[in-house]
Amino acid sequence: MSAYLGIDIGSRVVKVVLVNGNDTVLAAALASAGTDGPAVAAGLIPRVCSEAGIGPGEIGYTVVTGYGRVRFGDADAEVSEITCHARGARHLVPGARTVIDIGGQDSKVIALDGQGRVADFCMNDRCAAGTGRFLEVTAEALGLRVEELAAEHTRACRPVTISSTCTVFAESEVISHLARGTPRPEIVAGLHQAIASRLVGLAARVGLTPVVVCTGGVALNAGVVAALEAVGKVAIVVPPHAQMAGALGAALIAAARAAERR
Amino acid sequence: MGRYARLESALELSRLMERHYAEALDRRHPRPVAWVNAGAPVELLRAADILPVYPENYAAMCGVRGGVWLCEAAERAGYSRDLCSYARISLGACLERTAAPYEGLGRPDLLVCCNNSCGTIVKWFEALARFFGAALFVIDTPYMHDGLPGHAVAYVAAQLEDLIRWLEQRTGHGITASVLDEALRLSREVTLLWREIRNLCRVRPSPLNAPDLFTHMAPIVVLRGAPEAVAYYRRLRDEVRQRVQHGIGAIPNEQYRLLWDNIAIWSHLSRFYYLFAARGACFVVDTYTGAWDAVPEEGDPIESLARVYTGVYLNRSVGFRLEHMQQLMQDYACDGFVMHNNRSCKAFSLGQPAARRLLTEATGAPGLLLEADMCDTRAYAEQQVRMRVEAFLETLAGRAG
Repeated sequence: MSAYLGIDIGSRVVKVVLVNGNDTVLAAALASAGTDGPAVAAGLIPRVCSEAGIGPGEIGYTVVTGYGRVRFGDADAEVSEITCHARGARHLVPGARTVIDIGGQDSKVIALDGQGRVADFCMNDRCAAGTGRFLEVTAEALGLRVEELAAEHTRACRPVTISSTCTVFAESEVISHLARGTPRPEIVAGLHQAIASRLVGLAARVGLTPVVVCTGGVALNAGVVAALEAVGKVAIVVPPHAQMAGALGAALIAAARAAERR
Repeated sequence: MGRYARLESALELSRLMERHYAEALDRRHPRPVAWVNAGAPVELLRAADILPVYPENYAAMCGVRGGVWLCEAAERAGYSRDLCSYARISLGACLERTAAPYEGLGRPDLLVCCNNSCGTIVKWFEALARFFGAALFVIDTPYMHDGLPGHAVAYVAAQLEDLIRWLEQRTGHGITASVLDEALRLSREVTLLWREIRNLCRVRPSPLNAPDLFTHMAPIVVLRGAPEAVAYYRRLRDEVRQRVQHGIGAIPNEQYRLLWDNIAIWSHLSRFYYLFAARGACFVVDTYTGAWDAVPEEGDPIESLARVYTGVYLNRSVGFRLEHMQQLMQDYACDGFVMHNNRSCKAFSLGQPAARRLLTEATGAPGLLLEADMCDTRAYAEQQVRMRVEAFLETLAGRAG
């Protein structure tokens, strides 16, 4: 049996997906990128292989994507995150026309054409505002873990306005809200709204054509997704395994390239 | 670098520019030195036998060699990091004259600047004039929203007449009609040659890539109206023609033809454009080197110069620029376009996000908007740029396949 490997070395998390020739996922794994994403990726490969019951020699083609892809030497091809996320999202949600991917250090909005090809994209520039890292920093200031933010959001009645989307300034705003005795849920909901406003502003450049899909680690935060739906006035689909979309896309591209090669 | 087919004229270009900068520094020659901006009516200075020298071109040259340390010198003196990096390099070079290339460009006897490119240029030249205690003449060109009304031409022409008198006072001799006609004739000839060279890139494969144009544009900027520029561009034109005749492309395997908008990324002239060339994408036309495409008409020289310098690209409306880019994409059969959102040049970057969307709607071709800077590498994020470029080229490939 042949298997095809997709690796997404993100700034915060490394994701690995193995598919077979029928585009079925055989195994998947993820781990914190730490300070050496490529090494973490290399460590995950034996894990997914044994989970799928194949030897590393049976991997027919490997595509690497993500922030750390340039340093990962052991792949057949490098493909950009845009193309991989688009491919993964389209597989998870057929008919998707817009992909909002919110990763650790960047967020991107991808417009797909009727055939599911990338028509246009835009990204945040050189700034962590509106990304997973923004949430990590501000959650820490609130004494919360990132995983707790969504539950906190549901308890909000009157979200505060966080005027700055700069991660550093937002953190000081959070601290001054806490000092004033503002309840935490209101601050959390305010943060989610700030991210959503920024992302919708970004999305406006390429349009928010339904079906809109949200991927990336931050898609797991229901509070951010709810805020995105409210600000963008559009329904958003979060597929299962949204965080794996980039790696899945890379694996699917690997399978397609291997088929072309034959 | 071996990445592009190198033009043989490049050696002559180096000699020409070397001579130009040496002349700017040589205080034994009797001609006064004027520091001018690219949009100044240089023909009048040539007719007055004044040597024009260009801080903008100097800054671009420093940008290629690494200009951040000069930006930092200006910042230490209090100039904002948000200021144009040409201005910061130029001001920094004045402050660091012993270490800067070509002794910071020497010193001017007088300065002439025209605000047809931006407002920054005026403040920058005022700062230079103060620094050197030299006289400055500023020409004000009205912004062209649509068309050029007669009163605007008259307004600029009157200032050019003032400039002639101002120059005559400083040199102590008059500007004769025949000398001015000759300067205009040379300017016309060199501009037509430059146009001809750029037009040769309409063929497939294109004989030149944008970095070639960026490198070889120096004489049209600093030697416009001088006979050596005409000789140089004749030679370059012949070489480019040869390439066309033999079907030689600027890059080895031209698959995608692109339009470039805005000033070059001088600090990464080789590395950045290679990201495209390596994947078969050639910039066959650009809006930057096309800014030196205006040919002075025959007839009254002052009115003709008023029209040319008021009508420069950066003094035109966003709507005009959009139509212009659309026309270029059609004429040069472009598959896509890249807009450099240049942190330094607000005038050039104005309206780009909207222009990008409208240009795609009009042409059906995808466009990439990239945030960077022409000289300040602190505003250039290598990995982010690379990722966007690759995603853009994958998008183009996806459409082709």
